[in-house]
Amino acid sequence: MSKTILAVDDSGSLRQMLSFSLKAAGYGVVEAVDGQDGLDKARKQTVDLVLTDQNMPGMDGLSLIKALRGMKNYQNVPILMLTTETGDDMKAMGRAAGANGWLVKPFDPARLTEVVKKLIG
Amino acid sequence: MLPQESPSGELPMNTQVMRLLSGVSVHGDQHLAEVERDLVQMDVLLDEAIKKLCTNFMAIHHAVDRQQEALNGLLAGSIPAAECAARFEALRGEIGQHVGAAVTGLQFQDMTSQLIGRMVQHLAGLRDVFGALDTNGAALPESGSEALLALLGDIGSRVGVRSSGVRSTVNQRHMESGDIELF
Repeated sequence: MSKTILAVDDSGSLRQMLSFSLKAAGYGVVEAVDGQDGLDKARKQTVDLVLTDQNMPGMDGLSLIKALRGMKNYQNVPILMLTTETGDDMKAMGRAAGANGWLVKPFDPARLTEVVKKLIG
Repeated sequence: MLPQESPSGELPMNTQVMRLLSGVSVHGDQHLAEVERDLVQMDVLLDEAIKKLCTNFMAIHHAVDRQQEALNGLLAGSIPAAECAARFEALRGEIGQHVGAAVTGLQFQDMTSQLIGRMVQHLAGLRDVFGALDTNGAALPESGSEALLALLGDIGSRVGVRSSGVRSTVNQRHMESGDIELF
């Protein structure tokens, strides 16, 4: 059974690119349009990895990570930030919130799937 | 020499006017400089993205042509099946690389839309700066009066308040894939 990844980004084109890349590598993908949508979908179905943007309307990526880490079934699920943000202060906040890694946009599909494979196989 | 204050403690009118004009100039310039910076960055990103997309689109087209040639050779019996299979495998990998590069290039929309959003906020800030100068058609108090000094002081402070900065969330200067750091 293929592993499922929750892809959270307010950009429709970026979600499309993520979905295309991850599905091509054999993963199932659940898409969410912002942090709150991501949290709702994560509650309905426990996924194997979360990939989230930081700057989104409503709930941002850091808030989503904190909320997920507060849920029992998401304490050990890998969470990656995929964002345009490059600052060390933001990375430190991501790490403190519970992110397992920081990927700066734009992403390369091969490098992205390599990281995902490393984390969830 | 310090400007003389009026009996009510307010600065003289010429100082108030100079301070107001200076505030409008500084805050207006800040907003425009940020918009200019974002436009230049967007131009660079769009230029790189379109070059990347064009290059990879042409490369995919070329690889598909070569796939067709290999297929024709296989059907005509002029290329051995084993050689053809190896060619297909190599072309598959080549096409995958070009599609991957195109996917990276296609992400320009995410970055440029953030830059556009920031520019819109700066333009709104600039509109607010000018809006603060509007007296809503009310007649100005008499020149030199304390009421005029108070009005100038109020407009000046509103110009300052409405010019808060907007943090940039996009610092990319290229459309190459970004860094990856695992914690």
